[in-house]
Amino acid sequence: MARVNNWQLGREMSYWYPEARPQKQFAAVFDTNKCIACQTCTLACKTTWTSGKGQEYMLWNNVETKPYGFYPLAWDLNLLEMLGGQEWDETGERPVYQGSTIFESAPAGERVLGWRPEDQDYSYPNVGEDDCAGQVDGGASLAASHDMAWFYYLARICNHCTYPACLASCPRGSIYKRPEDGIVLVDQGRCRGYQECVRGCPYKKVFYNAMTGTSEKCIACFPKMETGIQPQCFVNCIGKIRMAGYLNTPENAREDNPLDYLVHIKKVALPLFPQFGLEPNVYYIPPVHVPTSFTSQMFGPGVGKAIETYRSAATDSDLAGLLGLFGSSERVMTRWRRIGETVTGLDDDGNVLVNVPLKEPVHIRPAYDKLYQVTRSNCP
Amino acid sequence: MREVRYSVSVFILSALMLAVSCGKTEVPTPDVQAVAAERITLDANDAVWTNVPVHASRLILQDLVEPRLMEASTQEVRVKAITNGGQIAFRLEWADPSQNDLPSPKMFMDAAAVQLPIKIEASAPAPQMGEMGKTVQISYWRADWQAIVDGRADEIKALHPNASVDHYPFQARPLDKDPEAKARAEFRYSPARALGNSRSGPREKPVEDLIAEGPGTLTPNPAGASNGKGIRTADGWAIVLTRPVPEGLSLTQPTQIAFAVWEGSHGETGARKMRTGWVNLLMK
Repeated sequence: MARVNNWQLGREMSYWYPEARPQKQFAAVFDTNKCIACQTCTLACKTTWTSGKGQEYMLWNNVETKPYGFYPLAWDLNLLEMLGGQEWDETGERPVYQGSTIFESAPAGERVLGWRPEDQDYSYPNVGEDDCAGQVDGGASLAASHDMAWFYYLARICNHCTYPACLASCPRGSIYKRPEDGIVLVDQGRCRGYQECVRGCPYKKVFYNAMTGTSEKCIACFPKMETGIQPQCFVNCIGKIRMAGYLNTPENAREDNPLDYLVHIKKVALPLFPQFGLEPNVYYIPPVHVPTSFTSQMFGPGVGKAIETYRSAATDSDLAGLLGLFGSSERVMTRWRRIGETVTGLDDDGNVLVNVPLKEPVHIRPAYDKLYQVTRSNCP
Repeated sequence: MREVRYSVSVFILSALMLAVSCGKTEVPTPDVQAVAAERITLDANDAVWTNVPVHASRLILQDLVEPRLMEASTQEVRVKAITNGGQIAFRLEWADPSQNDLPSPKMFMDAAAVQLPIKIEASAPAPQMGEMGKTVQISYWRADWQAIVDGRADEIKALHPNASVDHYPFQARPLDKDPEAKARAEFRYSPARALGNSRSGPREKPVEDLIAEGPGTLTPNPAGASNGKGIRTADGWAIVLTRPVPEGLSLTQPTQIAFAVWEGSHGETGARKMRTGWVNLLMK
């Protein structure tokens, strides 16, 4: 194993291959507070990429209701249990992970600590989603077995990790990370369907296709990204919770890069289970209403501050402005700026892709329409 | 003294005949001996195998690369070989109570392979998949491919009888008028097939020809001409693998051969396998 730097852990770690960062890294920020689990992203992906034979059960993009929604079943709980309790040292300027990653915990004979879902684990995507647990006297109500009055929606795609466990797990090098944009792909010509990647990926975002005998995964819609257009699950998101782009390492962060600004400068968006050690590149603005005792396990030790920062958007015009750019253009906005009340998304060459107002204008329509001489009522 | 010797000879002859007639009680040979036969067969039950000497090869864990098995499974593979001069056939038999031929997530297939050096040389390649510059050639049989060749449909319903599929885009009605466009569309939704991945069906034979120059280098060999057929026995599998006689193999020039077996129910796939070391392969 090689020693590589994982900035999300604040330390070096062991990985199967030496550190080889791409020229630029595909990355994304998802705002969990805006997701309504409409599954439009899921269907956009499904109809585009996984309509073939053997792909029936695959959801490269899925949205699950936390804490008890999963796809596949218990994908996170199983590995957390295998990994055991781990600690962060939060006494310094940056948190440092004191525990073991899935690479450092690999048992004898294995490359990573992992497990394989069974067929039926995929059969109930988001089991129990928003369901009432049963009839309750006095009318319908939500009975949550975790005895906490909260849940939230977690949209998930492949994290196109800096240190992919799928790639490390493949004994024949059939998975590669593109040097030009960091997108992780399974070579469909080379894969022999050993399912080692399925076992190794802690996020369970590689899927075995029994009809082709190969494993398949999210490709970050690379044909679109290559032409400067965001992936299907991003541009079809009606809640405008997502922004795709490219992320620099913390020491190279640029204020005018939207993702750098959110991840490195404002630290409002956090990686999913950073303790696994993969340096995942989809970042989440954590839900503000969920106890941090839960979300800090999922998003790492920065959750409290991230929520505080997110709440400050009401008085932080830059942060509010940038969040307003989410879903405003199908183009990849690699640069941004705010001048006064206008927020602008730009490409690498400085071309303006979109302008949005800092605050959406609000128009209150009178109940009586004089032109048509009708009275309209606004829906509650 | 002559009578005693005669009696001993009769005893040995009787024991050999008993061994042959009882199948598994045959006395195994230390080498794989390819016996001359008038014809080559894919049928493991063909009478041509009856008097062919059997080699019992002990299987050991693949222990060179991760990921690997940590617990041994299949203990032994029993091998017979026949040749008609042009073709050589190997009959492999091993115990395996579970038949694993339905692919699915976390489901692995029963399989077996025969490995030979591509060139007969004084020093054989490393037995575990060869080495750089010392290529090995492999004939690989798999149980699910056998099921497809035996008639199982190339449809998801064949794997999951209760599966419900509304519609595949490549089955859209307008495409019925243009079979070529339909075929192209189907390929688009099956990238591995579109790329000609030899792992991806549909299949015409249950065997794949491969070459390798060390672990992780396994590559399809389109020039290979292996074939095969596997059947279930009372307690496992019996398969026949056929291929051209290795170049240079003759009555005076032996070569090396190695075997591997994958037990699907034990999660064996790829490098997680039971294998043998090199064994001599002789022409008889």
